[in-house]
Amino acid sequence: MNLLYATLGLIALYIYVSFASLLWEGIDRKLVARMQRRVGPPLLQPFYDFLKLMSKESIIPKHANKFYELAPVLALAVSIALLAYTPMGFAPLFATKGDVIVFIYLLTLIGFIRVLGAISSGSPYAQIGAQREMIILVSREVPMMLALFTILWRLNNIGVEKPFSLATFYQRNIWELGTPLALIGTFILLVVFLAWLASEIEVGFFDIPEAETEVAEGPMAEYSGRHLALFELSNAIKMFVSASLVVAIFFPWGISAYVGLNGIPALVVDVLFHTIKVFAVLFVSMSIFRAITGRLRITQAVQVFWLRLFPAAIIGSLILAIDLLGVIA
Amino acid sequence: MKIPPTLSTVLSNLFKKPATNMFPKTEPVPTPEGFRGKLVYDVDKCIGCKLCVTVCPAGVIEFVPEIKKVTFWLGRCVFCAQCVDVCPVNALEMSKEFLLATYDKYDDNLRWLKNEEIEEMIEAQKSK
Repeated sequence: MNLLYATLGLIALYIYVSFASLLWEGIDRKLVARMQRRVGPPLLQPFYDFLKLMSKESIIPKHANKFYELAPVLALAVSIALLAYTPMGFAPLFATKGDVIVFIYLLTLIGFIRVLGAISSGSPYAQIGAQREMIILVSREVPMMLALFTILWRLNNIGVEKPFSLATFYQRNIWELGTPLALIGTFILLVVFLAWLASEIEVGFFDIPEAETEVAEGPMAEYSGRHLALFELSNAIKMFVSASLVVAIFFPWGISAYVGLNGIPALVVDVLFHTIKVFAVLFVSMSIFRAITGRLRITQAVQVFWLRLFPAAIIGSLILAIDLLGVIA
Repeated sequence: MKIPPTLSTVLSNLFKKPATNMFPKTEPVPTPEGFRGKLVYDVDKCIGCKLCVTVCPAGVIEFVPEIKKVTFWLGRCVFCAQCVDVCPVNALEMSKEFLLATYDKYDDNLRWLKNEEIEEMIEAQKSK
């Protein structure tokens, strides 16, 4: 693809995802409020919050170092860069062989930059939050990577153009395998991915680093004003991107082909349909999970990852591998 | 992992109306019988017996000897209604008013018998 068009596409995607993800946060707050029989804030509340934070004075702590101010900018930059590799109802803009590694790297990097920013703030609260975030970070990516690589490897075996690229989901998808064994394995991996999504956006059980009632907002304890606004925006984009990954793996179907569109209208329709699917996945993994569960302790969360999700990912992957070998009919 | 028992409650709540009183748009929740709101003072009934001054735990009430009346600053009132109970002529009463927020702690709404009123009453007494 022409580099200029790709750049324009990335900018358009960034503007769209910023709006869509902030809008989802508004919808999520409204839904959770209704689940608790409250009225909740207006749908556009996250936009008001963002504008308010942007207009506020940003206070830099005396003990903060240079990275404190740099971290929010880097976090947003990384999340924008991540959009170029995110499946959004169509193949990622810069889709190429093996871009899944870039995707995982950038997704993890956002969390890592948050940790660096928190450590740079010189506040012990932020540092406790940063430690927790780091622990969660190293635990949560393992089951996700195993599951993702297994699925990509399995799809590679049924023939795709660009192996280990997130674009493969729009050529073949995991449900095409059709065998009972593959279905079981895929369902197990779906559960793993929904749990990973909840931990990636830190809700419900995994609201541990932020833990606003316990360690005063954790990593974000010292951030205010514009810097906090940038972090909030990058978090919202990251939430949308993580959910996009789950949608792309498990529910990649577009509707433009059925409606009979092509060209630009098809892209728009696919993106909108993809957004609806993202909202649906986030409704399960974020709103409901957030409304019905409390926070775990950090030790319990690590146990959930290594003793529940990781074995589940191994079992799911093995089932998919056994299915490929064809040992069991 | 078990499914948390809150799931069904939460999902059924989604289809119920919110149990909220949208206050600035609607009337506030009605006050119950015997609600202790803003203190109301009837100057004409007051005989200046100073019982309320004695009984007030917050020091809201001040006696003005020249006119044998009392003056209040409700900014300190703790709404215990002991002055109401003790007043022999029922010059004091708890109203149902509770929206007492102001920008100024010496707001007119929180005072009873302002300085100029007291002076007027003293003048009136002299001219009698």
